[in-house]
Amino acid sequence: MGNSLTPLVVKEVKELVRDPKILIGVILMPLLIFPVMGSAISISQESVRRAMITASFAIYDEDQGPHAEALKDYLKANNTVITIEATSLEDAIILLRESNTSVLLYIREGYSENVSEGLRGWVKIYANLKQLNIAETGQSDKVSSLINIYNYWFSLTKIERLLEGAGESVDPSVVRSPLSIYYASVLKGNVLEVPPSSIFGLMMSQSIMLPIMVMIMLMFAIQLAATSIAIEKEQKTLETLMTLPVSRITILSGKLAGSILVALAGAVAYMVGFGYYMKSAFGFAPELTSMSLGEAGIGLQPLGYLLLGVAIFVTLVSGLALALSIAVFTDNVRSAQSLVGILYIPIIVPSIILMFTDLSMLPLAVRWILLLIPYTHSIVASKAAFLGNYLVVAKSIIYVSAFTVAVLYMAARIFSTERIITARISSLSLRGLLRKH
Amino acid sequence: MSSAIEARSLVKNFGNVVALNGCSFTVREGEIFGLIGPNGAGKTTTLRIVGTLIKPTSGSVEVFGVDAVGDPDKIREMISYLPEEAGAYQNLSGNEYLRFMAGFYAGKSSDVNEMLGEAEQIFGLGERLKDRVKGYSKGMKRRLLLARALMVRPKLAILDEPTAGLDVVHAYHVRQMIKDYVEKRGVTVLLSSHNMLEVEFLCDRVVLIDKGVVVAEGRPQELKQRYSAENLEQVFMEATAIG
Repeated sequence: MGNSLTPLVVKEVKELVRDPKILIGVILMPLLIFPVMGSAISISQESVRRAMITASFAIYDEDQGPHAEALKDYLKANNTVITIEATSLEDAIILLRESNTSVLLYIREGYSENVSEGLRGWVKIYANLKQLNIAETGQSDKVSSLINIYNYWFSLTKIERLLEGAGESVDPSVVRSPLSIYYASVLKGNVLEVPPSSIFGLMMSQSIMLPIMVMIMLMFAIQLAATSIAIEKEQKTLETLMTLPVSRITILSGKLAGSILVALAGAVAYMVGFGYYMKSAFGFAPELTSMSLGEAGIGLQPLGYLLLGVAIFVTLVSGLALALSIAVFTDNVRSAQSLVGILYIPIIVPSIILMFTDLSMLPLAVRWILLLIPYTHSIVASKAAFLGNYLVVAKSIIYVSAFTVAVLYMAARIFSTERIITARISSLSLRGLLRKH
Repeated sequence: MSSAIEARSLVKNFGNVVALNGCSFTVREGEIFGLIGPNGAGKTTTLRIVGTLIKPTSGSVEVFGVDAVGDPDKIREMISYLPEEAGAYQNLSGNEYLRFMAGFYAGKSSDVNEMLGEAEQIFGLGERLKDRVKGYSKGMKRRLLLARALMVRPKLAILDEPTAGLDVVHAYHVRQMIKDYVEKRGVTVLLSSHNMLEVEFLCDRVVLIDKGVVVAEGRPQELKQRYSAENLEQVFMEATAIG
């Protein structure tokens, strides 16, 4: 009889991948939908960017003094600026409303006089909101930054003149901003000359992606495992399968392995699609960051990779075995998929909580409840692996492995009894059960 | 002739429902043996017990001397089971399905090819084996499943309602294939049916089951004589005293 597992796995994979619902839903959709979404966002961003570059802004100069001229010369140097000829501010605003210009800079009368007398010059930026889109607000932001730069250099020139008058030889920029603030982070005994927010940003961008991927993969795998057993019942192939000269454990292993392979393909498709989406939509590229996780001493070392791989694998197997054990009690694919939906709660809840906080910050009771949930450990283990706390990863592996063995034992028991043939929970009885509660 | 199946006082309860209530019979090696009875008589439950899918609440079954409860794995190596409402994997082609199944019984690849050749003959619709099962009609599916059950040359083939729901053409083909195969290979067949004509055509011996108990056992000809009946339908009515 030789190796019976390989044909079982091949059959599982063929059956799942050739099912149009699974092929489209699990593998093709993520590959198509994310790039399409990313391209859509990218196209709209590109049009905004182009609009901001090509658009011009208008100036209404009520002051007409020398300082107003200096400001206008500075703004005209690098931008397309239209000077509005109007008799009053009201007229200028009417002209603005009728034009395609998004921004009007208003230099009030007395601006030059104030600046000359050492008082504050007064300008106002009017945003012309016609479409209420990002390009319009972006234009006013751009004008405001230009004026801020002008403001900064103007203040430095004034400070320099004052200092010369007082006979002081001090750097005007020091007078304007006398303190310099530097940041450093102490991580795992090393002092890193970077602010903590940068390290956290790096951690978020790289280590958080992994638990999200595991969560998605688990959810895919659970649905696939439930489908693979329920489809046997729906298509009436299970009875035949159970009378073949092959052990029930081999049949169970074939289903687990087939579901893992298809779920992995789904997860890879999802990550490829998602990666493209992030890159095209937000220009998200970790290589652009000035520092890598390795430089910060929190990268994954080979041992970390290995341990994390083991942790994820045992988590996946436990989820699949649990899904198979539950789905066995249904008699069609729809009921099986609804019933295993229960498993999403202990997968999603820890993921969401631990995305925003750390276990150590939670009240003791909540911490223990989360630690009892095996799916918490894939997140705990991935964070710990990034920080090199291998003992924590090992503890998670031991706990999840024990849980997995227990679930596999339960699944094997169910597979070796007649309940696999006789158990029946239909959509109708499921609905009845839910209504009762 | 030695016995292929020895069923003794089989009882099977599903909760409060009594499916079998002390059913006993013997099947001899090389014969086609029929279980006859109305819906709910306990035919499928009996076949499932012999096929090691379920265990009896009490009583025992031996298949070629092996206890069905004590060593089901050994029995699975000798049998081939065709359930009443069986299906095949929709997304595999007929060929892929047969090759997948043959792999569990064949020792080497030449055995697989031999089995596939045999299956093609039983199936009788050669070219369609390349198509996916989801495109098959009900009759074609049943022919494929029968080919699967017989190609592996089991010592015992268990066929639950082999022609149920088939039109005349497909039913005729299936019956003929079973008869020819048994003559050629000398395998033992345990089948259930409520089609009395089919049973008379195929079976060497039969048991009549009603409400989980055996009401009569013998050759179809003997039974007709014993109950002075023209056919097995009348035998059944007489034996259960319904008529």
